[in-house]
Amino acid sequence: MMSATDEDLELELRSLPGVLNVEIRHLESGEVDVVTLIVNGQDPAAIRVMAKQIVSLYSAEGSVVVDDATTAFRPHSSEAARVNLVGTSFDHETGRSEVELNFAGRIGIGHSASGTLVGGVEATLAALGDLGLKVPYYLVSVVNVATPRGWPVVVTLRPFARDSDLLGVAQGDDDVSSSARATLNALNRVLPIINNID
Amino acid sequence: MSVANEEVQSDGDTAKDAHYEPWLFQSMLDELSINELGIGFVYSVMETLAKRYSLRDVVVNLSHESFGAQMFRLGGQAVSAEMAASIGTTPGVYCEPDVVPPEELGAVRTACQLALSLHLARFSAAHDPLTNIANRRTFDSALEAAAARSSRYGWAFTLLVIDLNGFKSINDTLGHAIGDDLLRQFGVAMRRSVRSGDVAARIGGDEFAVILSNADGFEATGFVDRLRCNLKAASELLEFSVGTATSPRDSTDPTELFRVADARLYEKKGMTH
Repeated sequence: MMSATDEDLELELRSLPGVLNVEIRHLESGEVDVVTLIVNGQDPAAIRVMAKQIVSLYSAEGSVVVDDATTAFRPHSSEAARVNLVGTSFDHETGRSEVELNFAGRIGIGHSASGTLVGGVEATLAALGDLGLKVPYYLVSVVNVATPRGWPVVVTLRPFARDSDLLGVAQGDDDVSSSARATLNALNRVLPIINNID
Repeated sequence: MSVANEEVQSDGDTAKDAHYEPWLFQSMLDELSINELGIGFVYSVMETLAKRYSLRDVVVNLSHESFGAQMFRLGGQAVSAEMAASIGTTPGVYCEPDVVPPEELGAVRTACQLALSLHLARFSAAHDPLTNIANRRTFDSALEAAAARSSRYGWAFTLLVIDLNGFKSINDTLGHAIGDDLLRQFGVAMRRSVRSGDVAARIGGDEFAVILSNADGFEATGFVDRLRCNLKAASELLEFSVGTATSPRDSTDPTELFRVADARLYEKKGMTH
């Protein structure tokens, strides 16, 4: 079991912005030898300065190495493989939502007659299907929440297989747009992996 | 726990019972009190999982509302940038080889998420979020405990109340972001200056306090010298005033000790301004 001191050191290091992973190596004497941090989306030099300061409070000799995962993450953040929202519309007379998506130059369109919030998600899932993308998730909940800056929508999608739920949050011009964006926010993280897209 | 599970299965009990029993989660929790759950628990769970299923590697990927994505690797090893990217930020437990039942992985993830959240909650309850030194609540408890020991056994300790000089004008002229950064620097200087067993705390906006255990006025002078030296290395902008009270000489009552130290602090501030 780790000592309480090591646990607190690791907790403090993990609280630094963008830190994904921490490794603390010790000398035989028990003193901290080298601390390695993996960071994403932050300036490694700035994180190193802050980390060094924290480590120095626990150990006089400990050195800090920061490994930047930002570049490695880029392919999976998939700018190229990202599904983009082209537009949404809602017909108040029929209660029908329409979502238009763009993926790698192709257009997919989906419809739903389930109102604005649920309809926005369902139409997005249908549009993804229209694009030929596998989406092994189903809608569990969609809600909009009051915030000082508007009404963002939170979408929860559950996988058909046993896995973790996906959450997406977004705010668009209206509820259909917010629902569509929140659905893409959740799915764009996994669609490239599921569909083997580089 | 696993033996009991096999017995249930061989007895042909209900499908639900035979399906899964979260042995790992339960057995680990049995060994620990809730107050001990922390990051160390995450590594212990991974270790136990690896032994049970003869795993070469385990990565637990958690998501915390305050921390964002957090990756833990078996044995506290570093996750390489490439490995982090291939796992991504989706929470889950990743094993090599992939032989662990999904229900078990779900239980492990829940236990680890709980441990991380509890550790952070415990740390946050005791520490000031800006400076990471003890907060007012922790300080009050520590002062009461020190005063009680002093009253019962006659052990000396010194209380220092510290106030930053002109901090309001720093905030007003340089902005709150720089003000916050200076407070952080002061917190670091405090942590560098105390000895093991002492308590350094932020007790107000620009007010700090230190409990120097087994210390009289001489040790207090040494601490103030170290603090000035450490602070000078970090920032030339901050200056501070100190008031001290020593137990049992000044009092053994925590409230009275604080009053004496505070009065001496303002006496000094009056002299310097």
